[in-house]
Amino acid sequence: MKPIYISIVFIIVILAQLGIPLKMIYDSEDTLMTGTVYKFKTQPIDPTDPFRGKYITLNFEMNSFDTLDSSYVYGDKIRVYIENDSNGFAVAKEISKEPLKINADYVMAKVVNNYNGKVVFELAFNRFYMKETKAYDAERAYLETNRDEIEDNVYALVYVKEGRSVLENVIIAGIPIQEYVE
Amino acid sequence: MGAKFDKELEMLIRDKVISPEVAERIGEYYSTKDVEKPNRLFTIFGIFGALLIGSGIILMLAHNWDNFMRLTKTIIAFIPLIIGQGFTGFSILKKKSNTWKEASGTFLFFSVGATIALVSQIYNIPGELGSFLLTWIILCLPLIYVLRSHAVALLLVILSTYYALEVGLWSYRSNVIPWWYVIFLIIILPYYYMLLKKSVLGNPAAIFNWILPISITIALGTFIKHSEDLGFIMYITLFGLLYNIGRLPIFSEVRTLKNGSLIIGSLGTIISLMIFTFRWIWNDLPETFEYDLHGLYVSLTLLLLSTLVFGYTVFKNGIRAINLFQVAFVIFWIVYFFLSGNEILAVVLMNILVFTLGISAIKIGVDKFNFGILNYGLLIISILIICRFFDTGMSFVVRGLLFVLVGAGFFLANYVMLKKQERIKSIKKM
Repeated sequence: MKPIYISIVFIIVILAQLGIPLKMIYDSEDTLMTGTVYKFKTQPIDPTDPFRGKYITLNFEMNSFDTLDSSYVYGDKIRVYIENDSNGFAVAKEISKEPLKINADYVMAKVVNNYNGKVVFELAFNRFYMKETKAYDAERAYLETNRDEIEDNVYALVYVKEGRSVLENVIIAGIPIQEYVE
Repeated sequence: MGAKFDKELEMLIRDKVISPEVAERIGEYYSTKDVEKPNRLFTIFGIFGALLIGSGIILMLAHNWDNFMRLTKTIIAFIPLIIGQGFTGFSILKKKSNTWKEASGTFLFFSVGATIALVSQIYNIPGELGSFLLTWIILCLPLIYVLRSHAVALLLVILSTYYALEVGLWSYRSNVIPWWYVIFLIIILPYYYMLLKKSVLGNPAAIFNWILPISITIALGTFIKHSEDLGFIMYITLFGLLYNIGRLPIFSEVRTLKNGSLIIGSLGTIISLMIFTFRWIWNDLPETFEYDLHGLYVSLTLLLLSTLVFGYTVFKNGIRAINLFQVAFVIFWIVYFFLSGNEILAVVLMNILVFTLGISAIKIGVDKFNFGILNYGLLIISILIICRFFDTGMSFVVRGLLFVLVGAGFFLANYVMLKKQERIKSIKKM
């Protein structure tokens, strides 16, 4: 290959290598700035990812939808249309594999089960990255607050726009999880 | 020049094999030759350095710096990437040595992964490990050709294998077939071909001779899915393909130990066929084979490739150079699809096939004067006999006798060849 072609290919590669993470940032910032914020009731637990560090997995309370449609099977990517309930927490309004023409925000999820007229799904934004020393404490903190049986005290703040969702923070008893565990 | 080399020269002068003048000239010759040769050790250390720094950065980033602002974290995320790109660009523009290209390429490879990982971390971007690996690989693949870097190519082969396993095998209840792996392989293979063309006997070629067949052997497992009945067919055909690749004229000068395709192909063929010398496996086969369409495509593609490579070797080396290992997969296809109904016949044929493969390995060993291959053939026959002890009702006397015979065979074959070798040596001396 001639040096000039090598340089051109290299510049394209550089731009792609910079472009992909920049696009990820742009999409997230856009959602955070112009998206609608929802609260999802949740429960944090603590695994690790070898490359991307410590995070807590969130088990959301909103994880199923009653429907008799048996065409949903494990692994299906679905849209979960959401609305707020009387306490201000997100609840599933409708699920669908195709886009629906209804006036509501939706988040993406993966079907994990379908039985007794109930489709169980996993929301896409179930990872919240934390400093490695704090992730385990976060799980314990959650278990302790739960024992106190204070209702509605653990939730995730999620910004939603056109199907994109950004998990901004996890709140325990009114304060962000990082501060709570300190 | 190394101290050992100087000592050897001194000894040759002392023993009056060469004169001091000749020794000086030899020394000069090698010192000028060394200047032209890039320092291999330096390259290797460069790659390892970049490897350690790169993975160190990934680990540090995984720490998750809670205390920084989002903007600060985002800027930090791009620093390793920009440094990596800077070094790589510098080594391309300034036409630096291979050491530079290998080291900067390795560093850039890791920083691409680190930056994507860090951005996902900062924004809690969901996503499966598989799609992260996919993006990482695609963004680094062109570097192989831009930099002509062995290290980057090697890292990408390993990462692609990991991708195939992650997507196709490890994800819970995965039904996804990692077709991207095939695309990655198609992109990497021309580089391997260039490497072989440049220096087929070199160490980099030897590493790829091993790592590529290993990667393909591992990854093939992720393509089986619901076509379990075709699993063995796929593997035996792959081993046939690898063996035939190892026999291509381009590898004719390569030492057997550096010819990974040949060894993996041969061992794989023997091990898989050995399983089919047992009667229970034929009993367990279903009446009609069940498989997916893609399973059939994969098997047929492998069959086509093996046949093409085999045909090419026959065309180049002549029909007399064929050995049984090259066609064992074809025999297995015939027996598996047409004779599996008659299990006794199938078992007998498989036993004969493995036995003949052992004999042909012994013959290859004798022809090439290679004790390794000779004993490999003897080992195949011994294992076959041991296996038959499990499913035949032979008396202990017969079994004992067979063992003695096999042991005696080992001694005799090696002894005869040793004697023959000595005789040839003495004829040459005369």
